[in-house]
Amino acid sequence: RSFEYSQKNAVLIPVAALGIGGILLYWLRSRHKIKTIEMGDGWWGSGERPLKGKEDESIRPFKIETSDKEIEDLHRRLEQARYAQPLEGAAFDYGFNSNYLQKVVAYWRNQFDWRKQVEVLNKYPHFQTTIEGIDIHFIHVKPSYVPHGRAVKPLLMVHGWPGSFYEFYKIIPLLTEPARHGLNEADVVFEIICPSIPGYGFSEAPHQKGFDSIATARIFHKLMNRLGFKEYYLQGGDWGSRITTNMAQMLPQSVKGLHLNLVFTGLGGLRNMLSVLVGAYVPWLVGFTREDVRRMYPFIQKNFYQILQESGYLHIQATKPDTAGCGVNDSPVGLAAYILEKFSTWTDKSFLHKENGGLESKYTLDELLTNVMIYWVTASIVSSMRYYKENISKDPGLSTDARIGVHVPTGIAAFPQEIMHTPPVWAKKIFRNIITYSYMPRGGHFAAFEEPRLLAEDIIHFVRKVEKL
Amino acid sequence: CSSPAGIMLLEVFLVLGTVVIYFLLSRKEEATLLPLKEGWWGKGQKPDTEEDKTIRPFKVETTEEELSDLFRRLDQARFTEPLENSRFHYGTNSKYLRKVVSYWKNQFNWKKQVEVLNKYPQFKTKIQGIDVHFVHVKPPCLPEGQSAKPLLMVHGWPGSFYEFYKIIPLLTDPASHGLSGEHVFEVICPSIPGYGFSEAPHKKGFDSVSAASVFYELMLRLGFNEFYAQGGDAGWLICTNLAQIAPSQVKGLHLNLALVTKMGVIHLLSVLLGRYLPGLFGFQDEDVRRMFPFLQKGLYKSLVESGYAHIQATKPDTVGCGLNDSPVGLAAYILEKFSTWTDPEFRDLEDGGLERKFSLDDLLTNIMIYWVSGCMVSSMRFYKEALQNGLGTQKHDKLTVQVPTGIASFPNEIMHTPQAWAQKKYINIVSFHFMPRGGHFAALEEPELLAEDILQFVGKVEKEQLWRKK
Repeated sequence: RSFEYSQKNAVLIPVAALGIGGILLYWLRSRHKIKTIEMGDGWWGSGERPLKGKEDESIRPFKIETSDKEIEDLHRRLEQARYAQPLEGAAFDYGFNSNYLQKVVAYWRNQFDWRKQVEVLNKYPHFQTTIEGIDIHFIHVKPSYVPHGRAVKPLLMVHGWPGSFYEFYKIIPLLTEPARHGLNEADVVFEIICPSIPGYGFSEAPHQKGFDSIATARIFHKLMNRLGFKEYYLQGGDWGSRITTNMAQMLPQSVKGLHLNLVFTGLGGLRNMLSVLVGAYVPWLVGFTREDVRRMYPFIQKNFYQILQESGYLHIQATKPDTAGCGVNDSPVGLAAYILEKFSTWTDKSFLHKENGGLESKYTLDELLTNVMIYWVTASIVSSMRYYKENISKDPGLSTDARIGVHVPTGIAAFPQEIMHTPPVWAKKIFRNIITYSYMPRGGHFAAFEEPRLLAEDIIHFVRKVEKL
Repeated sequence: CSSPAGIMLLEVFLVLGTVVIYFLLSRKEEATLLPLKEGWWGKGQKPDTEEDKTIRPFKVETTEEELSDLFRRLDQARFTEPLENSRFHYGTNSKYLRKVVSYWKNQFNWKKQVEVLNKYPQFKTKIQGIDVHFVHVKPPCLPEGQSAKPLLMVHGWPGSFYEFYKIIPLLTDPASHGLSGEHVFEVICPSIPGYGFSEAPHKKGFDSVSAASVFYELMLRLGFNEFYAQGGDAGWLICTNLAQIAPSQVKGLHLNLALVTKMGVIHLLSVLLGRYLPGLFGFQDEDVRRMFPFLQKGLYKSLVESGYAHIQATKPDTVGCGLNDSPVGLAAYILEKFSTWTDPEFRDLEDGGLERKFSLDDLLTNIMIYWVSGCMVSSMRFYKEALQNGLGTQKHDKLTVQVPTGIASFPNEIMHTPQAWAQKKYINIVSFHFMPRGGHFAALEEPELLAEDILQFVGKVEKEQLWRKK
């Protein structure tokens, strides 16, 4: 009997030891295994997803077109526009000043040449391809000259709201042909892919509910895959920042580097709020730099009050997009006021106090109106607004999942006039592999549009560091 | 900490901790007057000459040009397909909106509706630099020995003086409509400056106290030394301010909305514990039924439904721009409120339930008032003027109302205010009734119920001559 017992032990104990050891090893390893966002799948076309047949994966060349009818209809609406007198001395405090709006519309009606702008838009190659039931539009620009022995890096750049792929038109040449534009780091050269987020511009709008940044991230991964890319760089601001971040969390092995000009950390919870309070007096204790302090304080006024002042659009779009978008899809003047207000206030907060919103000090009317026209001719404002509801109803704080975090090499360009400043100490909680964090000397929310050179330099600087690793 | 036991423990802790703080911090509410807000809202500089105080008759008019311009815009309207199965959850459903626009083009008769609007006498008079429009309806026949009591009724957003057209006859001639003829009213319905046919202020700062001051001058100019005031939505706030400015002139204040703007610790406690200990917080069964679960019915609902208030309180000129240029956009924006604020369950309906409670003629007439007067932007500015310094921060938020008050609490109102909360501000509540049905636009949706409540309230005030006891 005792022999049997000891025999059992002789087998049981090593087995148990192996078992426990195995579990321990697995647990140790899984702690270091990076968590990712599930890719999942989706269908956004009309009606039911077809059971049979594979999706048409062809990539079709696309050209933007216009017609006399389209232009005449626009002109008619501009001519019949009804304005409300602004309050005396209101500047841009109550929103877009209608006295200045009338000047913009006069230019739009009489000098702005949409046919010419369409040619400008078509100067880069456009394509469309069907993914998950909807047509995805993108431009794909390859460098005309590649330095000997250098590899061309694929870079996906994602726009936001109320922007479009057009925001990247000035920065593209700086990234595909940096040497020609006097950017020193000529050893890094990119081929650029700028898609339109589904529901924006020339990308078809989803027909089903629930289209959020995760679905977008997955579709853009599929797009890059379809184009033959296994590894690529990502760049984004506004929604583009959220989408590219999700992409990095979804398929980190495909993302060589992530560059952002806006960081979503959400409200950060109690800890961040406490560090804000403490940081006002002893910034070094909570890890704030001097520049952080300069950009963030007085906190209540600069952040809390300002966010409330500037987030009305977000609130209504996140709850009633079809209502909010209806009128602006029917009135080009209303659309221009709604969109251009953001180009004013988000470029420089002091523009609120200017009668003309300071718009023409940073942008030309041609480029501002071209962006507005993209929303107008595609009638995409409502679907662009729905994106807020789809994302915010799932995540009201618009934070980035810290449990998953972001582990790919990350570069952050922090522009001084960005809506909210995220200090590096907060960004580090989510972005675990920050390679570069740059306090940019000037510029606001629409970085690629407003300061293409500064942004291009920072992207190149970041990628060079990643490549050296 | 998501278990019920854990929550209970947390709440008990909160109670213990905050009861002390509450008693330490509680202060007596002030009982002073709200000063009359003198202002001048006209264009440019105020002239030295005396203001023209004449009261001029006014008639709503329309032209062929106005109509053909409208039809052209309706014809060229661009719609966006709704998401599949989204009903009214993303806002006004454009499939239903197309039907409304079709009716608007083909059946709605604006000329006829203008005649309907003109059936009551309307006037304009200049006050503080701007033209103020109002309807003034006297009783058709006054029984021997009875006098008509002046009643000021103030509309809100996105409503207008037209909302009162069904209730006016019930108040000027109650006996003919099956109601008690004990009290008869002459009704004055002004348009808030910036709304409808009242001129919009040209200067910044025209808030509810300014509107109350203007209406106070209006009533004085009409020769009324004492009057009743009734309101909901913005009208609630304006009439409340009026009662705070001139308590000796406002005999009674009747409200179908009474929001709490100044939240304190006691409100937080009642929200946390009121479901379990309603008696402790003065909640009645109906209060509990309407308010809880609070997270859903209170917080979440107000977040989902307050986007419009947020953008109007910050960028009215931006959001109003397109709405002043596209009648279809204007209709979508306004109709959404007439749907959701009448019954929140209407969001589940493909047609927003609008025609269950209102006729398209009534809804479109209200919208047309905003369209032909081009007042959408100025109507929205009212929100910025009222809210730009934050909720509950103004002087009038901190003052109580001593005037006898009657509150008609409709079940589908946007937010429910229990009597326990209302009486902290309205310290002289004479009647508080839970109405059996109806929502935010009470006068238009349930005119009989509202009229009955107004009549019984005035009856109480008059019987006990309560206005003398202030």
